[in-house]
Amino acid sequence: MRVGYLCTFTPKELIDAAGFTPVRILADSTPISLASAHIQSYACIQARGSLEKALRKIDVDAVVFTRSCDTLMRLADIWEIATKMKVYSFEFPTKIDSTSKNFLISEIAELAKKLEEWGGKITFDSLKESIELYKLLEVELAKIFDEKPDYELLFKVQQMKVKDALNELKSREQKKSKGGPKILVTGSVCPFLDVMKLFEDVGFSVKDDLCTGTRFFTFKYPEMELRSVEDCFRYLAEKYVSKAECPTKHYEKDRRFERVLELAKDCDGVVFLLLKFCDPHFFDYPQLKQKLEEIGKKVLLLELEFPVIEQLRTRIEAFYEVIMC
Amino acid sequence: MLKKMKSNEKMKQLMTNYYMMGFASEHVSWITSGAPVEILYAMDIYPFYPENHSALFGAAKQGTYYAEVAEKLGFSRDLCSYARCDIGCVVSSVNVPNPTFLFACNNICNTVVKWYEVLSRIYKVPLFFLDTPFVRKELKENYIRYVHDQLVEFIDFAEKITGKELSDLKLRKTLQLALKGVKAYKDALLMGRNKPSPLTAFDAFINMAPIVCLRGTEYPINFYEEMKLELEDRVKKGIAAVDDEKIRLLWDNIPIWYRLKWLGEFFASRNTCIVADTYTNAWSWMIVKDKSNVLESLAETYIFIYLNVGIEHMAKAINDLVNIYDVDGVVIHSNRSCKPYSFGQYEIQKMIEVPSVVIEADMVDERVFSEAQIVTRLEAFLEMLK
Repeated sequence: MRVGYLCTFTPKELIDAAGFTPVRILADSTPISLASAHIQSYACIQARGSLEKALRKIDVDAVVFTRSCDTLMRLADIWEIATKMKVYSFEFPTKIDSTSKNFLISEIAELAKKLEEWGGKITFDSLKESIELYKLLEVELAKIFDEKPDYELLFKVQQMKVKDALNELKSREQKKSKGGPKILVTGSVCPFLDVMKLFEDVGFSVKDDLCTGTRFFTFKYPEMELRSVEDCFRYLAEKYVSKAECPTKHYEKDRRFERVLELAKDCDGVVFLLLKFCDPHFFDYPQLKQKLEEIGKKVLLLELEFPVIEQLRTRIEAFYEVIMC
Repeated sequence: MLKKMKSNEKMKQLMTNYYMMGFASEHVSWITSGAPVEILYAMDIYPFYPENHSALFGAAKQGTYYAEVAEKLGFSRDLCSYARCDIGCVVSSVNVPNPTFLFACNNICNTVVKWYEVLSRIYKVPLFFLDTPFVRKELKENYIRYVHDQLVEFIDFAEKITGKELSDLKLRKTLQLALKGVKAYKDALLMGRNKPSPLTAFDAFINMAPIVCLRGTEYPINFYEEMKLELEDRVKKGIAAVDDEKIRLLWDNIPIWYRLKWLGEFFASRNTCIVADTYTNAWSWMIVKDKSNVLESLAETYIFIYLNVGIEHMAKAINDLVNIYDVDGVVIHSNRSCKPYSFGQYEIQKMIEVPSVVIEADMVDERVFSEAQIVTRLEAFLEMLK
């Protein structure tokens, strides 16, 4: 069975350990028509586009909706009714602290129960193995992205079992960065590979803080010995609360702003690559932009809905000029 | 043409006093409309409601102006107009009581989390965020435990900041008052069951501020009891809110504040009465069951709030209202500002037992209101119902 997910706070290890294939659902450039009967036009293109795909053709049997933004929270019900797929809402806490970590452990146990209800079987061995394999995959992806981001590869490995993903990584050749002024691309989900390619085409070297980029694989790994399934649940909770900060979560001491500012330090400019109607990111944008400008960074906002590549190229080229002069 | 209620005047006085009270208070907490305000009242902390404040500005047709102020700072026009209006007010130094701290609960939306983070950076005051899991299907035990534990933390947080102690007795007393207030409010709204109805949902919208802002004090109890008396008097005298009431409707979502009067007249002139709505009725869910563990009861109540539940629960609630108020149809406001209230409406539409129509607008931002389109839609709908 292929189990889809939209939010990268979904513990894929559990899905994999249950014997299923975790599949990341991303919108593509399919025009929106069927989905318009189910959700309003002021939902972001990731929500509408994913639903459109599901209503046309998608190789997914069930979906885990992980709590993140208001749109995905409601999309779970819409998806269940409109597609007749199995749908489960996994309540990842919005608040990240020690109290919510305990709650997350209980929610992980509930998700495991649900996956077993769907016919999966999670054992200590299978879960421990999935945990180890995902760590390997994430560490490898981090190394690759450090040298030069490869979004095509990242999108591809999100569609397969972790074992196959690791093989995929082995068989590829490391691409070298062409250099050029460095920019930080920060934002939510960018399901359009051709948009990601533009930055490099224009001459930038790219570092990202995207859900479809480094945030997929940036974690701190807890140091603990795993002796039981319960240990594994605790491990996963620790791991996922340490995941790269996302604006759909509330952190103590403005940790997300601090992370973006830190990431931007060695960059010549920052691009906010945001999906139209993405509330969590758009609320952060004005104050974060101000803080970035205070440390001398040039900032560009690109809002995506139905991207027109040549228009975007012109804007990115203009930004390149601004940074170079 | 609209028959103004005497309660409107009393409400204005009451709310003016409420706002004045804020300026005289030692400790002020800004709070979201779905948060457990009872704890604040029990600790003599004044609750200021930015949502109510924005609704007020919306009704006064000043909302768009302040929303534009926020937009000039970079806040997107697609963000919630309550939030934009509020941020615009704050940076324009509109006179509001300054917060000692902020208290946000995401049982109404996750927008408030982001909005209050913005406020917290502007005012440089601490923000306590109460995280309530979403009940798409069933309310689970671990949800209650999680929210309960956070309530304990919140009390500790508020005690440390204000130097006051929360007394268990006072909290129970406040909850009793809140319960009475909600009951009085519900009874007043239920007067809409009469045929013809002595009130419209627009009267309910205008008079909802006391149950939102003063829940847990004596004020809403007295206010809504009097409002009910006024309505009973109307029924006795045979005064209908809408002359020759022919069609009865239910309203879904937050009102279009800047068009209350216009919509009121539109329906009244077509012998149509909007007798009830899902927005004001959302507060009638806030009945804290009297259990031995007060905080557990509070947790359960505030998790299972109208906007924090799945579509099946919402459709059931709407169908209940359809039956209680015996309406012929539902007007569904697809509100660009409120995603959790609006997404899912197309599915809900298929689940409700009477015909319905969707109109797209915004609660505060007038620029989104397309009058001609809405008139056409509503007229066609009423024609169909006849």
